[in-house]
Amino acid sequence: MSVSASSAPTAATPPVLEARGVTKVFGGLTAVDGVDLEVGEREIVGLIGPNGAGKTTFFNCLTGMETPTSGRISYRGRTLSGKPHRVTESGLARTFQNIRLFPNMTALENVLVGRHCRTSQGVLSALGRGPRYRREEADGRARAHELLQFVGMDRHAETLARNLPYGDQRRLEIARALATDPGLLLLDEPTAGMNPQETASAMQLVRRIREQGLAIVVIEHDMRFIFSLCDRVAVLVQGQKLVEGTATEVQQDPRVVEAYLGKPVDGG
Amino acid sequence: MQQFLQQLVNGVVLGATYGLIALGYTMVYGIIQLINFAHGEIFMVGAFAGLAMYSYVLPESMQGNPFIVLPLVILAAVIVSVTVALLVERYGYRPLRRAPRLAPLITAIGVSIFLQELVRLFYPGARSQVSFPRIIEGPNLELGGVTIARTSLFLLVVALALMVALQTFIRTSRTGKAMRATSQDADTARLMGINTDRIIVLTFALGAALAAVAGVMQGMRFVSIDFRIGFLGGVKAFTAAVLGGIGNITGAMLGGFVLGIVEAMTTQYLLGSAYKDVAAFVVLIAVLVFRPQGLLGERVAVRA
Repeated sequence: MSVSASSAPTAATPPVLEARGVTKVFGGLTAVDGVDLEVGEREIVGLIGPNGAGKTTFFNCLTGMETPTSGRISYRGRTLSGKPHRVTESGLARTFQNIRLFPNMTALENVLVGRHCRTSQGVLSALGRGPRYRREEADGRARAHELLQFVGMDRHAETLARNLPYGDQRRLEIARALATDPGLLLLDEPTAGMNPQETASAMQLVRRIREQGLAIVVIEHDMRFIFSLCDRVAVLVQGQKLVEGTATEVQQDPRVVEAYLGKPVDGG
Repeated sequence: MQQFLQQLVNGVVLGATYGLIALGYTMVYGIIQLINFAHGEIFMVGAFAGLAMYSYVLPESMQGNPFIVLPLVILAAVIVSVTVALLVERYGYRPLRRAPRLAPLITAIGVSIFLQELVRLFYPGARSQVSFPRIIEGPNLELGGVTIARTSLFLLVVALALMVALQTFIRTSRTGKAMRATSQDADTARLMGINTDRIIVLTFALGAALAAVAGVMQGMRFVSIDFRIGFLGGVKAFTAAVLGGIGNITGAMLGGFVLGIVEAMTTQYLLGSAYKDVAAFVVLIAVLVFRPQGLLGERVAVRA
C-alpha cells in the first residue's frame, strides 16, 4: 500500500469530498464560518481545534444532520442532498463523539441496520420470504460478521450494544458505519475516553480502514494520534479554518500554537 | 369455578380487542413519542367503514356468506382507517414534528373530536346507535361448560395471528429492524440510510390497520356501533399500552389481555356491570402511581 502522504487531489478526478464555504449560523452565533475542505482518495485528514470550534457542527453539515446556512458540499463531484439518508446512500458515514449505538439491539443487529441502505427488500417480499429475500438476508449477515471480525469483536455479535464495554462500543460504531459501504468515513473523537493501549489499537484500525480504500476525516484531541496518522491537518478556531497543512507545518505554525495550544507543548 | 373460567374467556376476548388497539398507541409512541389520542377514532372509523361496505356496497345476495363478506368488510375498514390515519399524520402531525410535544398532543385531541363529529354528522343514522351485522352466524360453542360465541373465537384467533405476525415482522425483517432503530435513535437511524419519514408513515399505517380489524370485530361482537366507541375503546387501549409499558410492543398485548381479564373479573365479582369501566381507570391510576414504566417497560433515561 503506497499512498503518498499529503497528496493534493488532482484536477482530473474530483476529490472524494469537496466542501466550499460551509457556514452554519445558530441565531446570533456563527458556529461554522466559510470552511473549505478537500479530501482526496485514501487520504486521512485531521480536524483539530479547541472545544466549541465548530468541528462537530461541521460534521453535522456534511452528513445532512444540520442544513448549512450557506455553502456547497459535494462527494466525488456530485452535490450532496441535504437529507441524511441520501447522504449515506451517496457514500458518507460517520461515528459520534458521544457513542450513539442502538442500545437495545445486539451488536450484529446494529451492523445489519447499517446495511439498510444497501439492501432493497421491501415489506411485501419480507412477508413473502422468497428466495431473493433469503439470499439477501444471508449475504447481509455474512457481511455483518465480516465487519465485526474486521474490528475484532465477532465473539460479541449477540451481545446487546448497551452491555458492551466502552472500547467495544466505539469499535462497533465504526463497524456499523462501515456497513453502509462508505467511500468517506467521518470519525468524531474515536479515542475519547480510551486508555493508551485502546488508542493504539484504534490507530491501527484507522490505518486498516484506509487500506480498504476509504478516505477518512477525523476529529481528535489526542495530538499524538493526529500527528502520527494524518496526511493533512486542518485547524478550526471559532468556526473558521485557521491553518491547513501537513502535521509538521501545522505543529510549527505560530498561529496554531497561539490560538490552539495556548502554551508551549511538552514532548508531544 | 365454571363462572371463573367463563369470565376468564370473556376477559381474554375483550383483552384481544384492547391489545389490537393498544399496539397502535404503543408503536406510534415508540417512534415519535406522541400519544396519538386520535387513534381511538381510527378504530371507530374502521368499524363504520366496514359497516358501509356491508350495507351500501355488497349486494344483498352475498350478505349471507361470511367467506365473502368478512374479507371485504375488513378490507374496506383497513383501507379507510389507514387512509385517514395517514392524512392525519401528513397534515396534522408532520408539520409539528419539531414543535414542543404539547402541540401535536393537542392536535391529536382536536383530530379526535373532528373525526367523531364527521361520522356523527355525515354517516346516515350515526347520531344514535346503528346496528352492525353479526356476519358469522351460528350457535355459541360450548367447551367444558364455558360458552364462547363464534365471533369471539374468530376475534381471538385473528388477533393472536396478527400479534404473532407483527412481532415476527418487527424482530426479523429489514423494515422491522429499521423501525426499531428509528425508535431507539431517529437521527442515527437516518444516518444509516433509513428514511425515517417512511418508517413513521408505515408505523401509523400498521397501527391503523390493526385498529380497523379491532373495529370490525367490536361491531360483530356487540352487533351495534356508534360514533363514541372510539373514545372509550381508545382510552382503555391507551390504559393497556401504559399498563404494558408504553413503547413496548409485547407489553401492549400483555397489557390488553391483563386489562380485559381485570375488567371481566371485577364486573363479575366486585363492582357489577354498572361500574365495569371503573376497573380500567383504577388500573390506569394504580400503574401511574406504583409502576409508571409499566409491566415490561424500562425506566426511561433522559437522552443526552
